[in-house]
Amino acid sequence: MKLSALFVTLFCFQIGFTQKCDSVFLGEIRDFHDNTPIVGATVYIQNLNKYVASDNNGKFKIENLCKGQIILVISHIGCETKTVSYMIEGDLFKSISLEHHIEELNEVALRAKENKTTQTAQETIIKTDVLERYSSLSLGDALKEVPGVSSINTGNTIVKPLINGLHSSRILIMNNGVRQQDQEWGIEHAPNIDINNAGQISVIKGSGALAYGGDAVGGVVVLKPGRIINKDTLYGRTILGGHTNGRGYNITSTLTKNYSSGWFAQLQASYKRNGDFRAPDYNLTNTGLDSKGFSTRLGKRNFESGFEFYYSYLNNEIGILGASHIGSVFDIERAINSGQPLLIEDFSYDINAPKQDITHHLAKANYYRRFQGFGKVSVQYDYQYNQRLEFDVRIGDRRNIPAIDLTLQTHSLLADASLDSNLERKYNFGIMGRYQNNFADPDTGVRRLIPDYDKYDFGIYGTTEWQLNDDLILDAGVRYDFSRIDAKKFYLISRWEERGYDEDFSDIIIEELPTQLLTNPVFNYHNFSASAGAKLDLDNYNQILFNYSLASRPPNPSELFSDGLHHSAARFELGDLRFGKEVSNRVSLTYSYNSTRFRLLSEVFYNRINNFIYLRPFDFVLTGRGPFPIWEYQQTDAQLYGIDLTVTYDITDAWQFQNKSSLTKGYDKETDLPLIDIPPFSTINQIRYTNSKWNNFSASLKSEWVFEQNEFPDFNFEVEDELSGEMVLLDISTPPPAYHLLHFYSEATFDLSEKTKLNVSLSVNNIFDTSYRNYLNRLRFFADELGRNISLQIQLNY
Amino acid sequence: MKINNQNLKNMKTTKFFVKALLCLALVTSFTSCSDDDDPAPVNEEEIITTLTLTFVNNANPLDFVVLNSFAADGLEDGMSTETITGNFTAGVTYSLSLGLLNTSENPAEDVLNGDIIPEADEHFFAYAVNGLDMTMTRDADDVPGPDGSNLGVNTTWVANSAGTGNLQIRLIHEPTSVDDSNEFGSATGGSEDFNITFTGVVIN
Repeated sequence: MKLSALFVTLFCFQIGFTQKCDSVFLGEIRDFHDNTPIVGATVYIQNLNKYVASDNNGKFKIENLCKGQIILVISHIGCETKTVSYMIEGDLFKSISLEHHIEELNEVALRAKENKTTQTAQETIIKTDVLERYSSLSLGDALKEVPGVSSINTGNTIVKPLINGLHSSRILIMNNGVRQQDQEWGIEHAPNIDINNAGQISVIKGSGALAYGGDAVGGVVVLKPGRIINKDTLYGRTILGGHTNGRGYNITSTLTKNYSSGWFAQLQASYKRNGDFRAPDYNLTNTGLDSKGFSTRLGKRNFESGFEFYYSYLNNEIGILGASHIGSVFDIERAINSGQPLLIEDFSYDINAPKQDITHHLAKANYYRRFQGFGKVSVQYDYQYNQRLEFDVRIGDRRNIPAIDLTLQTHSLLADASLDSNLERKYNFGIMGRYQNNFADPDTGVRRLIPDYDKYDFGIYGTTEWQLNDDLILDAGVRYDFSRIDAKKFYLISRWEERGYDEDFSDIIIEELPTQLLTNPVFNYHNFSASAGAKLDLDNYNQILFNYSLASRPPNPSELFSDGLHHSAARFELGDLRFGKEVSNRVSLTYSYNSTRFRLLSEVFYNRINNFIYLRPFDFVLTGRGPFPIWEYQQTDAQLYGIDLTVTYDITDAWQFQNKSSLTKGYDKETDLPLIDIPPFSTINQIRYTNSKWNNFSASLKSEWVFEQNEFPDFNFEVEDELSGEMVLLDISTPPPAYHLLHFYSEATFDLSEKTKLNVSLSVNNIFDTSYRNYLNRLRFFADELGRNISLQIQLNY
Repeated sequence: MKINNQNLKNMKTTKFFVKALLCLALVTSFTSCSDDDDPAPVNEEEIITTLTLTFVNNANPLDFVVLNSFAADGLEDGMSTETITGNFTAGVTYSLSLGLLNTSENPAEDVLNGDIIPEADEHFFAYAVNGLDMTMTRDADDVPGPDGSNLGVNTTWVANSAGTGNLQIRLIHEPTSVDDSNEFGSATGGSEDFNITFTGVVIN
């Protein structure tokens, strides 16, 4: 002590005789990632050659400092040593964050810690261990773990997430930092993502996450890959699964090599295959799936700087229930009345038309660098190539030619600056530029559903986060997006005139053909979005979140350009060139209570959407296949509101009860009709037994009860059977009755060696082989949902 | 020394990254310039624009009835116009000849002989009448259809007694099962390629 005092004295002496040396430096050392205090870090004051250590709260104190610069070298076991310098001009408090690798390692190895993307939005995280259970399924299936998230399906393998009643273009999916661009406007276009790529998924209801985009009227889904740790290590994971229903099997493997220098490389591949699924009473002919995925990452990641190259490939060949191919409204009437599919064959792995064959490539490169006292700057370029082939039931040599052949290419450049040197006032700015080209191959011999187009997007945003005190965090953000679509679209002259475009858009015709017009619609959209919110910790148990967000979404290509027969729906769908953007105002309030044994999460929201674009029946057209309803995209004012509840109660250390319930309502304000495709009330009760002594054994029984949707728009219609002159009712609106299912899941983990773990899980879905139909499955007119499925999954971590 | 090395490394990384970005930007500009030309129009190949049923009096080839349905954009999804030329006579036997054309092609494509008959095992013509006293038989020389049935291309019709009513013809693609024991024919499953009813057909 005396010696250090001497040093201090000497140091002051060097700087000047006149200076007083009575300043106090208070420091606080926190984990860079989660802000937890780091205990017992060594602080070496270089110019004083003196050591102090951080206390139980991560704090340390240096007294009797003179004016001038001090240099601190902070080290802690498992952390990168950090050197910081400050000017001492009086008493000073600084919070210093350390990159804490040991913590990270624990996260990967044990249980992923909650690492939320937003502060005040309604965000739920699905962790690795839960995602692993969905290894053989799709993204849409896994997201249903989140209360308030359901799915809109076409059959059982085309599963689209539905967040608080909204889907498709209203949901933004971020795949490893890249905004997924895969013709997501279509209701039968599932996200082309291999769930085995994700280490963690965040579901953000509403558009609170402005850095990703301003048009997420429904929500944002953020998939993050597994964390990289700076340690010389090689590890991997292999999952093998087998399933009775559909005689399916799946395999996925990931191998990661890390170096302490920060370099890393990862390879991942998956293969999934199943044949025809089975409903309790019959085979669902032509519902097979063949899915191949591959991805690789390579880069260097340090606290100060890093870069990453990422590439992923996914090919999905998806059979669509054969019985759902219809030619006329009379076919659909026969399908509804027969109560079972009109095409039932023996089990087969064959995938025939109708089917989809989709290939998605994604490549990205990013670089980041941290500037001391400023924050982190990152830049990213990404490229996506999406090819969508849809094969219809055709005749002659056109049998093997797809009816839809779309190639969508997207290039994006992003730059983002995150100013987090002051952890109490964080700022984040960014700009984005995107170019997209869609090419519809005319060799299909079918008039293009979606035209060729070029799309340009430019976005700029700023967000901020203020920690006012230990209990209150405020955040806010604004964003502006410019979007331009430049299309070349053929219209049948009859349609052009019927839509009244000859009066409003005669200036965009660039070529006149005998029956068709080539037009060049160019539209610009200016979109403003904003969000603001607060997070308040009332005490150790109670927390309240409030968030308001404004989102605007320009109409998508199908809403603008659709004009033709949609076979699987037996209807004409007409878009409108006159559409403007859709604007959503959403407020949400979240209350959570967390005690050791009892946890409650209650999320309510109100979403008012002006110029909400949706499809509704409008008229009939009499064709050679009989009368067809015409459905038009229309703009209206809509409102949605609802509540999502999660209650978890640990009855004992071994027994846990959980309930997840969700209620969503949606109305068209102009016609006072309920909105179509709003999920009915559902409640899931689960009881789980865990015993860590029996190799982490757990078993759970889950009851899923989905009510009948009583509020639906009645879009039923009558058509005349011309032969008999009778009117035939087509009930395409009435939702199916309520259903109740029971599911079982159990797993255990065995330590094979110090580094090798074997996890075995057995699950039974729909234990009682219950026949039911799902309102949110577009093939519900044709067949029941899946019957019982028993799955065995083996996972090896090494 | 250590710091210098670190800086050097960082510089290299930065340089490499800038280069990579430039390359990618170049690739971007190339791909975006590639398809500035106007797209080619698609003339639907699979469509049927014209359906003609010609009933010829077996005893008098100059006596015939023609039922015609025409849709410029195709019967599948365009508006169709039905015309009836001539009336049937009670007690007369007629042979029906079918014509299915795509007149949007030049020369017009014969869909019946070009596409449907070569794939007769996947197609089936079903007929029906309402308010008309007619009987119909599938001829012995009819084209074989699915599951040992007759396709329904060559048929013989008898107008039994006078009346006015409707006559329907349907083409079913990939039916699950067909039945021509009742000569008009019925089918389950599959999808209808067309379903045309001629109203106001007259038997004098």
